Amino acid sequence: MDETVAEYIRRTVLKIPRDEIKTMLQKWGFLSEAQLQTINFHQMKDNISQDVVQLCEENSASIKQAAVLDIIYNHSYPNKRIWSVYQMNKTEEETDFFDLTDFRKKFKRQLRSTLKNVTINFREYENNAVWIRIAWGTPYTKPNQYKTSYVVYHSQTPYAFISLSVLKSNLPLLCQALVVASNYQDIHEMELRSHSLNSLEDMVFKRYSQNFETYCPRPLQESTVAQETAGLRIVQEDINEKERILRVNREAFGDGPQPKLEFAEYKLETMFTSDPKLEVLDKKEPFRCMVRFHSPHLLESLKSLAPAGMADAPLSPLLTCIPHKARNYFKIREKKGLFPGSFVSP
Amino acid sequence: MESAADGPAQPRPSTGRPSWGLPFGRARRRSALSPSSRLPPAPRRTQVKAGAAEVAEDTQRTAFLLRKQWTLYSVTPLYRFSEAHLRDYSRLLSAFVAAEKKKGLAVEIGGELDIKVSVTSLPDLKGSDRDQAAILVQLSSRSSASPKNSEEKVIWSGWFCCVAGDELSENLPEAFTCLPLFLVNGAESNTAIVGTWFQKTFDCCFRRLSLSPFNLSWMAAMWTGCKVDKPASATELVFSVPRLPHPLHISYAINLEDAQALWATIQKTPGEITQEEVDVFMDCLYSHFYRHFKIHLSATKLVKVSTAVASAHCDGIIKFRQSQYLTGVLMLLTELAICQIQ
Repeated sequence: MDETVAEYIRRTVLKIPRDEIKTMLQKWGFLSEAQLQTINFHQMKDNISQDVVQLCEENSASIKQAAVLDIIYNHSYPNKRIWSVYQMNKTEEETDFFDLTDFRKKFKRQLRSTLKNVTINFREYENNAVWIRIAWGTPYTKPNQYKTSYVVYHSQTPYAFISLSVLKSNLPLLCQALVVASNYQDIHEMELRSHSLNSLEDMVFKRYSQNFETYCPRPLQESTVAQETAGLRIVQEDINEKERILRVNREAFGDGPQPKLEFAEYKLETMFTSDPKLEVLDKKEPFRCMVRFHSPHLLESLKSLAPAGMADAPLSPLLTCIPHKARNYFKIREKKGLFPGSFVSP
Repeated sequence: MESAADGPAQPRPSTGRPSWGLPFGRARRRSALSPSSRLPPAPRRTQVKAGAAEVAEDTQRTAFLLRKQWTLYSVTPLYRFSEAHLRDYSRLLSAFVAAEKKKGLAVEIGGELDIKVSVTSLPDLKGSDRDQAAILVQLSSRSSASPKNSEEKVIWSGWFCCVAGDELSENLPEAFTCLPLFLVNGAESNTAIVGTWFQKTFDCCFRRLSLSPFNLSWMAAMWTGCKVDKPASATELVFSVPRLPHPLHISYAINLEDAQALWATIQKTPGEITQEEVDVFMDCLYSHFYRHFKIHLSATKLVKVSTAVASAHCDGIIKFRQSQYLTGVLMLLTELAICQIQ
């Protein structure tokens, strides 16, 4: 077995939390159950990984098997990478029947025609998600297994989630291979990025609970949240206002859990307006700003601002539109004409 | 500038020193005067001016101060400190550092490190001749494993300084030296050792200087008004909303040219800034933000201000970016340090 393969397997095993190693090796299926029995999974990770490498040596593992282990790891822990969303389109309406073998062949051929030194591996998962792992080399060097990009292509949809993490120059090659292999015409990047792959999928496939515009004449059932935050000496007016805020918030964000995003970025190119009494800046050019919101769970955080008294309810549509527009990068310009103060985002 | 307290900071004899057990720099001093660093500062301050062109040589020597993170402390006046004895201080501090390291308080991995201590003066780093020149303390290490390869690496730097500290220094008795601002870059363990020695030797007291949102707003307005060469720059304000179920951070960066244009219409007297002008500036920025996002930034906590001149964080961390404004920024920080001491 190649020394580089051995080292790569060793390092991949070290990344896995100790309690998960056995399960992941079983999913991998390269080592037999009998072989797995010989490993003591309670010893130090260093030793476990040495044992695994030893067994892989016995089975003569190649880079292909090592790559599959890496795919399994990344499939279990996708949030360690940052994912961008791409959408493909074509003019013909009909969707061809998706043939994985055909896709793989075309993808490899297209990519290798421009860059010979790449390692490409595929694995199909439930809901037609095809995971593609690419390790990049250069025209003169072998593929570096530590410089990998991942693509998750949902074959029944025009969407692909890409975690490039290496040289941006490889991106056009990757996109082209995808387009050719999937029989589309072109591809463009959506303004949507996050560590949470599941949340991106939720947003793109509209799997989160959205607020459907239904007319609801009766007030909705009070959730327990209101009782928790109620102060002891609350006055009737405050109760009404608090209820209103919660109701409006629910309408804007929906009832269920929000997709998990870590940030949103807004490039503002709108005009500066202020109280005319202040006699300040009155330029006719945009007041250029860049606003970034960061949070471990951005949408839930934004949802909690109005009840906490830090924001108005309803919150600005610039923020509440994030899930259904499926984007977290925005460029905001002033909308000219009838409604000053309203915004348009391209 | 208004004086917040009457009379000098009283000289403190040996009683009332913080005990060694207390975490360094955290000891709280209860004095008759209000120790709150939220004392309203003077309603009027002079605009930070660029240093004169002839300090080019100065720029060379102080270049190492730029683009590093410095943690801020306020220091009470040093008793019987003399600039003539810097070499002696180096020796004494060196011995103290060596002794502390041997105690095993600081655990070294991989061979003995020979630590060299130097205490020098930075004569050009002060406001006027009435100020005490800045004093620089540096710890450098040289691996004793390869004495031939005697490459000394500075592992810790701390400097005391005073820029326009008249408010404190003019009322001090002779035996006291006024260096109210202390800036540190390096490991906390070394800071504790050096600080403890200074506290013991000169009977002074160090306290972390934190920067309130109030102070940070001043810096945002003041530094935005400074002319800089860098074309593509921004004035960035960072806000934190910690007490939500999921904490939120908001970074609000305004293109520097546009921010300067706004400030230019607010500032009435060139060279001077008033509290009212700072408030209007911040209100304008807050309302522009509110117009878009319906979020009240004034209800959040301003934790960091970053401009082309310098950046400041509420935990009392500063980064200087432009040598021409170094003295100007130090003047503001000296004022805040004095406020905290009094």
